[in-house]
Amino acid sequence: MSDLAPLLVALPVFGSVVALLAGLARDRVGWAVAVLTLVVQTAVAGTLMADVLGSEAIRYVVGGFTVPIGIELVVDGLSATIALLVAVVSLGVLAYARRAGPRSNAFYVIYLLLVAGLSGMSITGDIFNMYVFLEITGLTAYALVASGDGGRSAIAGLKYLLVGTVGASLFLLGIGFAYIATGTLNMGDLATQLAEVGYGSPLVLAAFGLLVVGLFVKIAVFPLHTWQPAAYAGAPDSVSAFISALVSTVAAYALIRIVFTVFGTEFLAATPLASTVLAAGAVVSIVVGSLLAVSQSELKRMLAYSSVSQFGLIVGAVAVGNVVALTGAAIHLVGHAIMKGGLFLAVGLVNDVTGARTVDEYAGLAKRSPVGAAAFSVLAVAMVGVPPAVGFVGKWYIALGAVEAGAWPLVVVIFASTLLTLAYFARVVERIYFRDSTETSGLAPTATDGGEDDAPEPVVSVGMRATVVAAAVVAVALGAVAAGYGDLLEPTIEGLLS
Amino acid sequence: MSADPVEEPQAPYVESPIIMTTVRVITPFVFTLGLFVMFHGADSSGGGFQGGVIVGTVVLMLGIAFGIETTRDWIGTTIPVGLVGLGVVAFLLAGIGSILLGGAFLQYDVYPIYHAAKYGMEFVELAIGLIVAGVVTGLFFVIASETTDDKEVDQ
Repeated sequence: MSDLAPLLVALPVFGSVVALLAGLARDRVGWAVAVLTLVVQTAVAGTLMADVLGSEAIRYVVGGFTVPIGIELVVDGLSATIALLVAVVSLGVLAYARRAGPRSNAFYVIYLLLVAGLSGMSITGDIFNMYVFLEITGLTAYALVASGDGGRSAIAGLKYLLVGTVGASLFLLGIGFAYIATGTLNMGDLATQLAEVGYGSPLVLAAFGLLVVGLFVKIAVFPLHTWQPAAYAGAPDSVSAFISALVSTVAAYALIRIVFTVFGTEFLAATPLASTVLAAGAVVSIVVGSLLAVSQSELKRMLAYSSVSQFGLIVGAVAVGNVVALTGAAIHLVGHAIMKGGLFLAVGLVNDVTGARTVDEYAGLAKRSPVGAAAFSVLAVAMVGVPPAVGFVGKWYIALGAVEAGAWPLVVVIFASTLLTLAYFARVVERIYFRDSTETSGLAPTATDGGEDDAPEPVVSVGMRATVVAAAVVAVALGAVAAGYGDLLEPTIEGLLS
Repeated sequence: MSADPVEEPQAPYVESPIIMTTVRVITPFVFTLGLFVMFHGADSSGGGFQGGVIVGTVVLMLGIAFGIETTRDWIGTTIPVGLVGLGVVAFLLAGIGSILLGGAFLQYDVYPIYHAAKYGMEFVELAIGLIVAGVVTGLFFVIASETTDDKEVDQ
């Protein structure tokens, strides 16, 4: 069954080519091709997940070479989780994108390539291969951000391109330093060879610094986040949801791989500065990201800064670096992807129904767009971390891990982050339910949820509404299974830390 | 942003007999060089990326010599897109075929041909060359159309 691992990357690439070639013959076939591809992709990822969760990892060397030379694919509990998350979220966003667009074939070609890049990053066991997939992910993400109409998304795409390329180049430089020090690119092999070179070696330290800062750019940790609000706010709604849910998530997963698989806990123990830098990035990101989110008036920008703060939590868990915190990081990565993707889709839905894009325009939204308002509120409450939802479980594990490690400043910031998250979501939810709409006319009085059967092509489809509601339901339901999942993930995390 | 009425004067296409003759003479050689470089992907310096760019420049030279619009009409949009698609499909088939024959993904030596590892790699390099040539050609036309006219590019 291990032959399934390369298919995880080959399949979306194949789907992308089919969409490209089919586009020569007919318009508008891209969506159908993408759905078919991603259904199979989800099945493959699900099978792999069932195979590896709680048991041995699958190791697969491409081309029948032996390990340090050939490119290795490693599917363990953590990478299978991320691969499955990528498949499921991209399938879900398709249900939304069918009506909401962009509808061109080129969009779906790039969309599937992005899925291939993300899947590749999550299962590769070779650090240079990871850079290649990081670049595929980056280039396709820039193109998707720029695919919206108008100059705003083009400028956002250009900014993303410039900053993202710097991040990827730093990552490549880091790989170069590690390669000079050890002469190998395989992650498992690097771990042993770096230990032999010695953790005090300037080459090893430089490699660590460059790799981590490169990934900080891609994750959008505070001082390096500048591409992210513009990209999320300027992209079309489906793209914002897709990118916010997956691109930073997979970069954060790559950070966990680099820090623990390649460098390892002994490196962190020998280099206190490394943990300090990670912890400082986390604290600054959480606090400043939240404060910037509070000060935004546009919903999509607010959600973008919220991501800066939430990924601070993940980096915090990496800085803590024990089993409980990393289990929390894995749960929060999945939970954040579902919640943030769902929030962006809800904002897109509300915008299509009522035209509201700013916090003030959300006043009295419950009457104008009940479905969008309800889904937004449930997801917002889940993101704050109210118990049954998955947002609570992830933060709880991370906080517990920080307590266990005795990292008290981080504990304080993690609990404060819940209050800060509440600060920026509460003002929106309060406007939705407890204020009357300031403008009585609105966009169109008939354009409410479910009342536009007479229109030739209603702006909001059943699929769009179903996706948003499904995201809200999943965000709550995952909370119930998250603890059980954490137990299953424990052997993987322990292997990562040994 | 630039609502400037005075636009930069566009350099018009010059029908130069020198350029046209030169391009006509060297095109076959450049094309052959491209294939030569592509076929040296497995065991010497060369490969699909370099070779593909060289083959792509053939179209660029034709465009400069005979006019970009003329060349675009002559080649059409289908051929570059088709080349890219064909290249990726060939690459994937080489990889998945070896799984079907019982090996790992892209394990060439399970193919029952002479020097399978070498010729398998050559085959993949040729596929990469097709992709690169197609992308270079396509990018050239897209960029050229943005500067020479304001027509919407829908590819």
